[in-house]
Amino acid sequence: MIWQFIKKQGLLLWRNPMQLLLVVGLPIVLITILGTALGGTMNGEPPKINLKVALIEHEDEEKQINRFIEDFSDELPPEMIESIQKGEEFRFIQTLKDTVFGHEDIKAFIDFQEMDLKDKDQILNDSTYTSVIEVPEHFTYEMLEGILTNQNNQPALLVLNNEGSQVGAKIVNDILVQYQDKIGLTNFLAANHLDPSILQSTEEMRFSETVSINQSQPVTSKEYYTVGMAVMNVLFVASTIGTFAFIERKIFVFNRIILANVTRWIYFSAVCLSGTLFSFFHLLIVFGFAWVFFDVSWANIPLFILVSSAFAISVGGIAALLTAISYRFKSEVVTSFFSSILVTIMAVLGGSFFPLGDSSVLLQTLGNFTPNGAGMSAYLAVLRGDELEAISGHLIFLVCFGFAAIAAAAVSFPKRGANI
Amino acid sequence: MLELINLSKKFKQVHAVENLNMFIEKGEIIGLLGPNGAGKSTAITMLSSLVEPSSGDVKFNGKSILKNPAQLRNIVGMVPQDIALYSDLTAEENLQFFGRIYKIKGVELKRKIDEVLKLIGLTDRRKDVVKKYSGGMKRRLNIGVALLHEPEFLIMDEPTVGIDPQSRNYILETVKRLNREKQITILYTSHYMEEVEFLCDRIYIMDQGNLIASGTKDEIKSILSAEKVISIKADNMNDAFIGSLKENPLVNRMVVSEKEVTIMAGKEVNIFSPLIKMAEDSQLDLHSLDIKTPTLEDVFLHLTGRALRD
Ligand SMILES: Nc1ncnc2c1ncn2[C@@H]1O[C@H](COP(=O)(O)OP(=O)(O)O)[C@@H](O)[C@H]1O
Ligand SMILES: [Mg+2]
Repeated sequence: MIWQFIKKQGLLLWRNPMQLLLVVGLPIVLITILGTALGGTMNGEPPKINLKVALIEHEDEEKQINRFIEDFSDELPPEMIESIQKGEEFRFIQTLKDTVFGHEDIKAFIDFQEMDLKDKDQILNDSTYTSVIEVPEHFTYEMLEGILTNQNNQPALLVLNNEGSQVGAKIVNDILVQYQDKIGLTNFLAANHLDPSILQSTEEMRFSETVSINQSQPVTSKEYYTVGMAVMNVLFVASTIGTFAFIERKIFVFNRIILANVTRWIYFSAVCLSGTLFSFFHLLIVFGFAWVFFDVSWANIPLFILVSSAFAISVGGIAALLTAISYRFKSEVVTSFFSSILVTIMAVLGGSFFPLGDSSVLLQTLGNFTPNGAGMSAYLAVLRGDELEAISGHLIFLVCFGFAAIAAAAVSFPKRGANI
Repeated sequence: MLELINLSKKFKQVHAVENLNMFIEKGEIIGLLGPNGAGKSTAITMLSSLVEPSSGDVKFNGKSILKNPAQLRNIVGMVPQDIALYSDLTAEENLQFFGRIYKIKGVELKRKIDEVLKLIGLTDRRKDVVKKYSGGMKRRLNIGVALLHEPEFLIMDEPTVGIDPQSRNYILETVKRLNREKQITILYTSHYMEEVEFLCDRIYIMDQGNLIASGTKDEIKSILSAEKVISIKADNMNDAFIGSLKENPLVNRMVVSEKEVTIMAGKEVNIFSPLIKMAEDSQLDLHSLDIKTPTLEDVFLHLTGRALRD
């Protein structure tokens, strides 16, 4: 039964190309205008990080390890010797190459090259290199000696940074600090005769932490306005559905519906559901368009769908509320007030035009209490790479808002909405 | 079958319907006649359970419908006074939607849609959106939708307003056929007395919220048994003549139109000589002077002093 109403609603929308164009076309036009206008100044992509790092070794690591084993085979317990022979964790430079600079996420923005000592001068003169890491002679040997014999004269890596690339150099340093911490931990464990292989799991964890910080991308202006326009314009779906319902009453079709013994609950659920469904499709179309033409892409599609669903439910709630109010007061004024004035106010509060929340916490809170504002915050968070936990508050608000609106509408819906 | 007991509806200022008493038996065609604003539509929305009366009751097979309208609704087909259709949908889509909300499905729905379209003569235009229909076609579909679930009781609120004579005749014939062939009980509302005279077995006449007459055609016309109705026609109908008619005590009632004046006078009174004299005095080109068989229109005039249509 409810499906019949939704189908009919869909047909009506389909037969009203002007309405359809306005509802779906407007946000697309706005996104296009803003996208093009802002294209020059605040263009899309975040500054792309692309670093080039060279590593120069003075001496082969394997040789140093063999030498160390030869020199210390008498002093150290055989298990320790064996673990040095096999253990990855004592091949400090190999680890740096494989697990640090070889990590997928780091490889994505650091071009890591192993160079020969003889190329050093040339590299230092090449300004495209962000940093050059120089591993001094006996580095690994001395590291092992320092760790396993409790001497404190530990060797250090030599890092030469490019003056012109401070940000890049900072990133490389951060990575090396993490790496050093890890070695420090190995030192500690080894010094206390614990098995350093337990580090493998901790190490994974540490790197994924670094990576998630790096993933948190800034939202570009293009993405911002795409979300802003989409969440604003989807509100017109609610007013369109509200208007349809009102016309239904005005032209006495609603009388026929009552006489067919259709309860107001069914009628009402149909209004909500079609509001929800059409808003959902609306969001898919608008964001799909922005994806294809403006490259506003969603890495986390399930989360995008989840946000869209929750947001669509809140819009369905608004549609229901508008219908109930316009039935109650037998006037379309409410719906037109909503679509002409309230939508704009909500859009400003929700931050569709500019990030209002940046100027005051109060306004930000207020904005997040509009469905479009909450939807916007959630979408932006997803674009930034946040996970479900970070946006669950918004999602809960959206769904609750939807249901609260539906309940309020149902209560105020006149018992006999008939018309004479 | 259906009984209206002291039914009243008051809007803020207006008494739209006051103490209306009516009954409708199975198989009848009942006419509800009255000028615009008489309260016909208000009465109909109350008796069909769409609107609650301010006071009074409606009983269907002896049981009040106010609390429990479902049974009545199941057998009622309602043709509203306005075109209650989705103008952006085709005739077929409209019928499909309304059929489905009556829980008719599949093959049965298809058969009923075909049947209705044939009955209202829109089979060829079934795939056109209603927006593109003429007034008459819309009216016919408006009726068709009400017939889809095969109601036993059809309520029609001015179903012929604003359409060409041909469509009108088609509708009137259809109504008669529905009653004769399918034994559908019909309540027909109109401000056209010819329609009501043509269709109905019994008639209720309303004016300003009140019932002013009821009964069979003959019973109602016998209200006029003490009066005769005279129609005066002239090409140059003028104010002087009309003025002297108004002043004449023998004239009980009168309605003036462009080239015709209808008056009522006592049956026993000789009014012809005074009429001819008045015509001469005001230099009227008298065309004809007839005694008419009274119509419902004349009854209305007699009862209210006003014409049914203005
Ligand atoms: N919803 C309403 N609110 C106020 N007055 C109304 C309403 N509906 C009808 N009326 C008034 O009630 C009277 C009867 O109207 P209606 O039943 O439509 O007459 P009819 O159908 O005979 O033309 C009219 O005076 C009309 O103005
Ligand atoms: Mg009416």
